[in-house]
Amino acid sequence: MSYHDLFIQYYPSLLQGLWTTLLLSAVTLLIATPLALAIALIRETGSRWVAIPLAILVNAIRLLPALLVLFFVFYATPQLGYRLQPLTAAMIGLSIMGAAYMSEDFRGCIAAIDSGQYKAAKALGLSHLHTLRRIILPQAFPLAIPPYMTRAIIMVKATSLASMVAVADLTAAASRATSITYEPFLFLVFAGLGYLLISGFLALLQSWAEAKIARAYRLAPR
Amino acid sequence: MTLDFSILGTVWPALLRGTTVTISLTSIVLLCATPGGIAVALLRSAPSPTVRTIVRAASWIFRGVPPLLLLFLAFFGLPVVGLTLPPMPSAVIAMTAYMSFYFGEVFHSGLQSVAHGQWQACKALGLSPARTLFRIILPQTIPAALPPYISHATEILKGTALAAAVAVPELTNAAKQVFVVTYRPFEILLAAGAIYAVLDAGLLILQLYGERWAARRRAAR
Repeated sequence: MSYHDLFIQYYPSLLQGLWTTLLLSAVTLLIATPLALAIALIRETGSRWVAIPLAILVNAIRLLPALLVLFFVFYATPQLGYRLQPLTAAMIGLSIMGAAYMSEDFRGCIAAIDSGQYKAAKALGLSHLHTLRRIILPQAFPLAIPPYMTRAIIMVKATSLASMVAVADLTAAASRATSITYEPFLFLVFAGLGYLLISGFLALLQSWAEAKIARAYRLAPR
Repeated sequence: MTLDFSILGTVWPALLRGTTVTISLTSIVLLCATPGGIAVALLRSAPSPTVRTIVRAASWIFRGVPPLLLLFLAFFGLPVVGLTLPPMPSAVIAMTAYMSFYFGEVFHSGLQSVAHGQWQACKALGLSPARTLFRIILPQTIPAALPPYISHATEILKGTALAAAVAVPELTNAAKQVFVVTYRPFEILLAAGAIYAVLDAGLLILQLYGERWAARRRAAR
């Protein structure tokens, strides 16, 4: 069969895989972002009794291969009495991994705000939450855009691991078509282009967001 | 459900074999990707704009595609171009290919940290380009590049888990092999995780020493 025929035959499953990859990316980002922000805020400004256990947890997770964490969520939870669908397990595992790394990115941005501002806000009688919401976070936000987008791209690439716990994502569709047809390049290159398209879109989004924020905050152009 | 860690008493030889494969895969990729990364970094500042553009494009592609996909590409693609290899060497080739580009970025920014005028000064002094690189530029680049180098080395270690997908019997794969027959994934994966943590910790200690050494080097300059 020619490339064309093969492609026509497997096109629906590849497209289905691409949708699953997009869904997985969007859901993991939506779960990981608020989680990471909460972890970063607690670790930077919260009580030590919560911050220290969180630090241990985050660093323990960052020591592990993402695949191992995914295996753990998918294969080990039934032993605890919870049986998860592959897609759910992948979403949970990838969100946990993403949140652990992303919280470190956010922590750096929060730490970059001068600590004198906390004291100044306190001297002005602002509550802790008010200080975070109105003083610290608005200044940390523009700093967080580039590392956030880099992390988002890494998380999109990491969704390919879901194929190892039986999720029919883009990587799984491509490798399945490859092993059936023995056609080594067509499907894998197509899948690669799919991922490049997503990360290219995110990179464009990043430069758009950076330009918009530079205008909104009247930052000097770099 | 009760956890029973005594299962580790029977499966530890398999995990140990997996650990040795993980360590050797990590070391081989590190040994191959380091010179690869230096080559990429040097090509990224090559005199020819065509070479620079090609390397930058290749770097973007290799770093933009999931590593798992590159492993599949090596595993299924190499035999077609006449290179039929066992799983381990094909995993080494795939991981070396993409890690060279990650290292390339690290070394490239390391090279950038050395003022460009130094190349010209060395030329004026009559030093050959190779001598300039090895005696003048690299000794200054290494302190800047060492901390990100080691953190990428931990990425290689964690990345070796992906080789499980192409049947390399490394630690994650070994763990899976034994938990599918013992039905004890919780205990076995926890043990595998602990082994990865120990290996990572070794690299992190190295990073701590490396950073101190780099700080001393910078202070001495």
